[in-house]
Amino acid sequence: MSKAMVQTKELCFKYKDGKEFALENIGLTIEKGELVGIIGSSGAGKTSLLYTMNGVIPHHYRGDFYGEVLVDGLDTVDNTMDRISRLSGSVFQDIDGQMVATLVEDEILFGLENYGIPRDEIESRVNEALEKVGITHLRYRTISSLSGGEKQKVALCAILALKPQMLLLDEPTAELDPQSSQQIFRILKELNEKEGLTVVIVEQKIMLLSEFVKRLIVMEKGKILFDDEVREVLKHSQALYEAGVNCPRVVSLSNALTQRGLYKGPAPIHLDEAETMVKEILHGKI
Amino acid sequence: MVRFEAVSFGYEGKQTIYDVTFQINQGDFAAIIGANGAGKTTISKLTNGILKPTSGRVLVKGKDTKTTKTSELARTIGFLFQNPDRQICQTTIRDEIMFGLKCVLKDNHEIEERINQTLETFGFDGSRDPFSMSRGERQRIALASVLATRPEILVLDEPTTGLDYRECMQIMELVQELNRQGTTVMMVTHDMELVNDFASRVLVVGGGRLLADGDKTSVFRNAEVLKAASLMPPQISALAQRLGEPFEGIHHVDEMADRIQCLKEGASL
Repeated sequence: MSKAMVQTKELCFKYKDGKEFALENIGLTIEKGELVGIIGSSGAGKTSLLYTMNGVIPHHYRGDFYGEVLVDGLDTVDNTMDRISRLSGSVFQDIDGQMVATLVEDEILFGLENYGIPRDEIESRVNEALEKVGITHLRYRTISSLSGGEKQKVALCAILALKPQMLLLDEPTAELDPQSSQQIFRILKELNEKEGLTVVIVEQKIMLLSEFVKRLIVMEKGKILFDDEVREVLKHSQALYEAGVNCPRVVSLSNALTQRGLYKGPAPIHLDEAETMVKEILHGKI
Repeated sequence: MVRFEAVSFGYEGKQTIYDVTFQINQGDFAAIIGANGAGKTTISKLTNGILKPTSGRVLVKGKDTKTTKTSELARTIGFLFQNPDRQICQTTIRDEIMFGLKCVLKDNHEIEERINQTLETFGFDGSRDPFSMSRGERQRIALASVLATRPEILVLDEPTTGLDYRECMQIMELVQELNRQGTTVMMVTHDMELVNDFASRVLVVGGGRLLADGDKTSVFRNAEVLKAASLMPPQISALAQRLGEPFEGIHHVDEMADRIQCLKEGASL
C-alpha cells in the first residue's frame, strides 16, 4: 500500500511560550499528488500546520507536541529536520528574507551544495529546475535586479532543484501583484499535474485558491473548520465570514440569490459560471 | 490638496515616472493602482517629499515639496508604509505613538493626551511590545501612530499586504470613517476588490505613466487600460460588463442581486 504524503493523528501543539494551543487535535491526510489550499485568519494555525510538515515543529520551534505527524511514513519527531526537509521543500511569504545569494545561479547552487549533491549531477539539476519554472533567462542575473514575482520564482526554482516530494508554500503571493500571483499558481498547478508533485499552499487570496486548487482546508483557532472540495467549502459563506475568510464575490452573489429564492444550483466560482448562472435565472429577459 | 504638475522622476540615470499630472481634492478617496514596478509607490513617496521630482512640481496644499521641509509636510500628510516593520522603531506601543507626535507637537501635556486618546480608539495596551504582536496588529499600530498626528491627507502604500480579510476590513473601515470626516485619502494598491469597496476615484499607473484617471465605472470598463496595467476588473464589475447594458455601473454584490431580482420580477428599472 502506498503511503500518504502527510498523515497527522490527534496532533496538538503549543509553542514554548504560548498560552494556548496553536494546533488542536488535527487529523489530516494528504495523499501523494494532491494540490491542497489552506486558508484562515491570522493566528488560525496555518503556518504552524505547515511547520509540522517540514519538521520545523518540533525541531526548531519547541513546545508541547502531542499526537503524530508522518511525512511519507516517517515520524517527524523521531527523524531529524534534515531528513524531513529533504522530503518537503518550503517557500515563504517574505521574498527577500529567504534569499541568501547575490546571483540567481548561486541561490540555486546553495541548496544543492549543502545537500552534498555530486558535482556532475549539479549542472543538470540546475538546468532542469530553471526550465520547470521558466526562468532559464534569469540564470546569470543579480537577485536584487529582479521583480518580486521573478524573485519568488527563483525561490521556487532553488527548492525544486533539491527534488522534494512535496512543496509547502506559505503565502507565496502576498507581496505580488495579480499577474505575478497568477503565474506562480499556474507554475504550481503544472508541477502538480505533470510531475505529480504534492503541493500544499497557505494563501489569503481566496480567488486564486478557488481557481487553482481542488481541495480547500479552512482553519480557525488551531482547528480545522472545513476540509473539502473548494465548491463545497464555499457554500458556507457565513461560517467562513465568521472565521475571517471572505468568498469570491461571485460566490457571495450566488449565495445572495439563493437566499432570495432566485437560484438553487451550485455556487459558481469563476466568472464564466457566474455569467451562465445569471443568464439562466433571467432566461429571455436580458 | 495634492497636485502633480508634469512630474517626472528618475534616479541613477533611470527614469521611472514620466510626465504625470493629476490633482487630488479635499475629501477624495483615491486609489492608485498598477502592477508591481509600475511606479505607484514612487508616486506616493513624491507626495510627501521623501522623493522630489526631477522635473515638474508637486504641490501639497499649495506648498512645493521641493522648497518645503519634509518635516513640515509631515504635519499635513500622514504616510503608512506597506511593511509596518519598516515604520515601527520603538519597543512599546506608547513610545511608538509618541515618536511621531513629538515631531509635530511641542506641548508635552497635549502629546500625552493624544497618546491616551489614540490608545483608547484602537484598544491598545500602551505597554506592549509591537514586535510581540501579529503582522495585522503591527499594521494597526503603525496606522495608529500616523493617525495620532491627525493628518489632513493620508497616504497608504499597500495597506493590507499580509493581512487576513478581517484585519484588512478593520483597517479599511477605520480609514473610511476618517475619509467621511473629511480626511483626504490616497491609497496605493493592486487589490481590485479593495479599490472597488472603498475608493471613489481611480488612477491607473503603468510603466511610470498615468494611464487613466476617473470614477470606478469608467476605469473598470476600460479593458485596454487595465490590460496595459496588468490588472483585471473586480469580479462583480467584470460580470456586469459581460451581462451588458441592464447592469451598467454595477460594482457590488447587493446591487447586482437587486438588479437581477428586478429584472426577474419584470419590474421596471
